[in-house]
Amino acid sequence: MKSVWVIAKRDFQSFFYTPIGYVVVGIFALISGLAFVMSFNLYIRVSQEPTLFGYSTIPDFEETLLSPFMVFCGTLIMFLSPLITMRLFAEEKHRGTIELLFTQPLRDRDILLGKFLAAMGMVVMMMLVVGVQVGIMGYFAKVELLVLVFGVITVFLMGSAFISLGLFVSSISRNQITAGTIAFGLNLLLYIMGYTGEKLPEATPVPEHLAGILRVPIDFMYQIFRAFVVELPVDLHARELAQGVIQPNNVVYYLLFCAFFLFLTFRALESRKWRS
Amino acid sequence: MIQVQNLTKYFGNFAAIKEVDFEVKAGEIVGFLGPNGAGKSTTMRILTGFSPASSGTAHIAGHEVHLEPLEVKRRIGYLPERVPLYDEMTVKGFLYFIAEIKGMDRNACRLETGRVMERCGLEHMANRIVGNLSKGYRQRVGLAQALVGNPPVLILDEPTVGLDPEQIVEIRNMIKGLRGDHTVLISTHILPEVSMLCQRVLIINQGHIVAQDSMENLTGSGGALQLLVKVGESTANVQDILNGVQGVKEVREDTPNHFRITGTPGAALNADVANALVHANIPLLSLEERGRTLEEIFVAVVSAEREMFASTGDAISAQQEEAGEKTV
Repeated sequence: MKSVWVIAKRDFQSFFYTPIGYVVVGIFALISGLAFVMSFNLYIRVSQEPTLFGYSTIPDFEETLLSPFMVFCGTLIMFLSPLITMRLFAEEKHRGTIELLFTQPLRDRDILLGKFLAAMGMVVMMMLVVGVQVGIMGYFAKVELLVLVFGVITVFLMGSAFISLGLFVSSISRNQITAGTIAFGLNLLLYIMGYTGEKLPEATPVPEHLAGILRVPIDFMYQIFRAFVVELPVDLHARELAQGVIQPNNVVYYLLFCAFFLFLTFRALESRKWRS
Repeated sequence: MIQVQNLTKYFGNFAAIKEVDFEVKAGEIVGFLGPNGAGKSTTMRILTGFSPASSGTAHIAGHEVHLEPLEVKRRIGYLPERVPLYDEMTVKGFLYFIAEIKGMDRNACRLETGRVMERCGLEHMANRIVGNLSKGYRQRVGLAQALVGNPPVLILDEPTVGLDPEQIVEIRNMIKGLRGDHTVLISTHILPEVSMLCQRVLIINQGHIVAQDSMENLTGSGGALQLLVKVGESTANVQDILNGVQGVKEVREDTPNHFRITGTPGAALNADVANALVHANIPLLSLEERGRTLEEIFVAVVSAEREMFASTGDAISAQQEEAGEKTV
């Protein structure tokens, strides 16, 4: 366990020995700050004249401002996570330091978890920025604590999902740029799928005359595909979760997502030891 | 301390090393010699548990590298060919990190960092960023890293490559200082280095161990004695005079007035050669005795190997041709 901590500490510090840590947290602070101010302003105007914006009464503060803002922060992490994760393994391979790590008395899982924790440390740094914003908000408005806690958990879970995916991609690439680009592409794909999924019809879009024996397997495949596209997007579950409604399936979704990619990373590290 | 049996490693269809066998006893410094691409680094990577062998076993201090990697890794210090350093860290921070990885507590980490920095002459560089160091200092940090935790076995892959002469001497002295306490396997293709440092030599070529013996055996008995003779200007035919001396097998004129005399094994030629030259009124400027150098052994062993391969290859193809004729 100590080794995990040692690796995590070094990798986390390493983010701030180089500009990357400051850049990522800085950009996160800038964009989330802008989004926060803009949505806060919008909410003020809405609450002054709710009818003008199509509301009959003053809309719920948490529902219209806080939760969407938290989900937005998670989405922002989605865009920034490749910058955090791309270096973790790819750079070590490129510089040859992976040879150093792999010949020290460390287990693969120590290295893997250490790097994951280091990257999650960056998510914590971003959450501190959000903490400042929410603190300001709490000064002006009464924030429902449960929604806030769920908001933070949501961002955390989203972050862990993106980080685990990025970590896996980094573990199979030798070049940082490749790792970053692939991770970014996959993140974007998961995001876009959310909008595609909504438009997919529930019934199988197969012409009626194609009936017969083929129909059953096609229908079956389509339902799986649809379930996949509808359920997989990372931000969908976040939107539900951030409302402060306890739904175990949403939490389980993120935990499974994260565990799946950590497992793949573990296998990727282990693969070097397979005898050819 | 290090036992290697039948170690084979394939990359695809290419065998980087094939059925390598050797043993290194505790406290020995063993040189691992071979041309580029002979399989030195591959063997070392297998020993350190960085990559697996395709077949065969390797034991370090009684632990199998593939089956008990953690036990093995606790007992070795490894300096890879490409010195692996985190450029953004300070020298001290980096060594401290390695000490922490090895599971030392805070106080031990501090002491150990200080100890290896002193040993490698890095104290005045403690707070410098590794990325800004010169090649020589990087190499020293790499070596210091291998020494952290005082592991009984050290595996050093070309530790002096790319250093200036002064640094090479320093690093060599450092490695010499490890004799007795540590078992050291050191790879290089700088031959004088091996003669200076090592008690025993392994020569590897094209993935095979082609020779392994102590330095004395290799340089001593293997070759006949050679004399290097330098004479002044004279009208006499020096070559003939030298050939006339009893026990001389071959005389070669390397450059004008510089002769290389090979004697028959066991013959003591020095006095006879000197006498013969003085009698003939040829000014004798210098007379130097030398054994077989490692270079000669190396070239002899490696080229003998090559010829053997070529001849067996011919034999096989001849057999195939014969067989082909028969079947036709």
